[in-house]
Amino acid sequence: MEPTVISPKTPGAVIPTAGGASAKGGPVRFWARELLANAVVIVALVIAMEVWSRHVPPFIMPPPQRTFNAMISALQNDYIHIALTIARLLVAVFAALLIGTLIGAAMALIRPLEPYLRSIVVIDTGVPALSWMLFAIFWFEQAEARVFFILLMILVPFYALNVFDGIRALSRDLVEMVETFRPSRLQVLRLLVGPHIVPYLLMTTKAIIGYATRMTVFAELVSVSSGMGARMGAAQSTFAMDGVLAWTIILVIANLLIQGLVQGLESLLLRYRPEVEVR
Amino acid sequence: MTAEVSTDIIVLDKVDKRFGPNYAVQDLSFTVKRGQIVALLGRTGAGKSTALHLMMGVMPPTSGRLIVDGLDPFREFKKLRGKLAVSFQTDRLLPWRTTLENVALGLQILGIGAVERRRRAEEWLANVKITGAENLAKYPHELSGGMRQRASLARALAVDPNLLLLDESFSQLDHVTSHALRTDVAELVRRLSKTCVLITHRIDDALEMADRVLVLTAPAKVAYDLEVPPGLRHDKAWLTEQERLIAGAMSGPAEQPRVT
Ligand SMILES: Nc1ncnc2c1ncn2[C@@H]1O[C@H](COP(=O)(O)OP(=O)(O)O)[C@@H](O)[C@H]1O
Ligand SMILES: [Mg+2]
Repeated sequence: MEPTVISPKTPGAVIPTAGGASAKGGPVRFWARELLANAVVIVALVIAMEVWSRHVPPFIMPPPQRTFNAMISALQNDYIHIALTIARLLVAVFAALLIGTLIGAAMALIRPLEPYLRSIVVIDTGVPALSWMLFAIFWFEQAEARVFFILLMILVPFYALNVFDGIRALSRDLVEMVETFRPSRLQVLRLLVGPHIVPYLLMTTKAIIGYATRMTVFAELVSVSSGMGARMGAAQSTFAMDGVLAWTIILVIANLLIQGLVQGLESLLLRYRPEVEVR
Repeated sequence: MTAEVSTDIIVLDKVDKRFGPNYAVQDLSFTVKRGQIVALLGRTGAGKSTALHLMMGVMPPTSGRLIVDGLDPFREFKKLRGKLAVSFQTDRLLPWRTTLENVALGLQILGIGAVERRRRAEEWLANVKITGAENLAKYPHELSGGMRQRASLARALAVDPNLLLLDESFSQLDHVTSHALRTDVAELVRRLSKTCVLITHRIDDALEMADRVLVLTAPAKVAYDLEVPPGLRHDKAWLTEQERLIAGAMSGPAEQPRVT
């Protein structure tokens, strides 16, 4: 697991725009090259598995054909678990976004609260994910409650800290401009602060979504009996290496699809931004 | 009192503003009549922006009396809603809003409905010579500097304020663009008989637009008060003479040759 959130000090400079791949030779050439590279790597991996599987028993490395069959079977019979994991992930990320935004906004806008909230958030980030998983088993009986709690505890600090930074980076000039129209506090939040932190929320989501996917599966493995993580655990406990590999591949694909979803959301919501090309 | 309120839209009476021990504005008194364009002219550090912030009501004066459109701008901050609008040196457009949405911002804060908001914003954009659906749908970074500044002026004018405050609104534009914009804004403000206070460090800005020029020297004292006679606004010889006098007044007593 690699917790990788960079705090967005200057989102304008950091967030690449959609199709920001316009380096050399235009976007089409770029994508063709990317696709080719991916295909080469995948084929190489399959060949390596095939060769390896001939020298070891199948519970160490099954032939790719068996893994493929296990994958098809998982997609046909266990799709409910795939849907469950993705639903858990999306619900928890969305809830973490809302709660993190509230905490971050409270930190930035209500001065006396800042040190206390910051302290809570920092302590939270210091608690290992595994501890939250074990706590969840003691504290909650319901599977959904367990996973939701675990993900919330892991993800909320990222949103809180980035929203806090985002609001602090709000330009004094824009605040002053809006205030010349004598708005209510709610109008300032709705018309200025809200839209201003959208890029920070997207950036945080982009940075954590892969981590969050892995944490969802991990939480399922440790604390509940449904979802992709639990199915993976079941495969492992019966020495079904083909099952473990199949679930791994499904997870990689699911992860890519979810990243694509976030990317699409970003280019939709940040279409107002100029395309930045850094040479 | 009522008589004063109806003819003078701005009254400053012995206004002081101190930051710590330093006066940014000291003993500043002047009035602005309704329908006038008044330039506050001064060098950097003369206290112009501080005077503007006092008129905007974002800070209280340390002492003295300040009235804007019959109200105390600081203590009666919310009551000035829709009566006063400001445009700044930089456009300060919201990057996530289109030109049209930016101009509609003030109207939105006033609680005007979407359809009416759109109609008025379009009208004000046309007044500052921005037209065409594709321009209205552009985001700020897609507009030229001059266009952005025009949009920013339209945003201020769109709330139909009695008083328009301009803080160096033309200072960052090139000569040709700023001249065109000054002319348009002066014409617009006169046609709508609004009051306008233009804060600037540029003598050409002031003389070209204003009915009256007040030269401020640090800490914000009126060093020179010039009514621009309409007939002489374009008189070369008169302008040259005034420019000389204003430049002398701007440089302040400390830097004028001592007479013994
Ligand atoms: N918020 C502030 N705190 C402390 N000093 C200030 C502040 N605002 C302005 N000043 C000081 O007041 C003086 C006048 O500044 P300002 O009103 O910005 O002048 P101008 O706009 O004419 O350049 C300057 O010496 C400036 O340093
Ligand atoms: Mg200034």
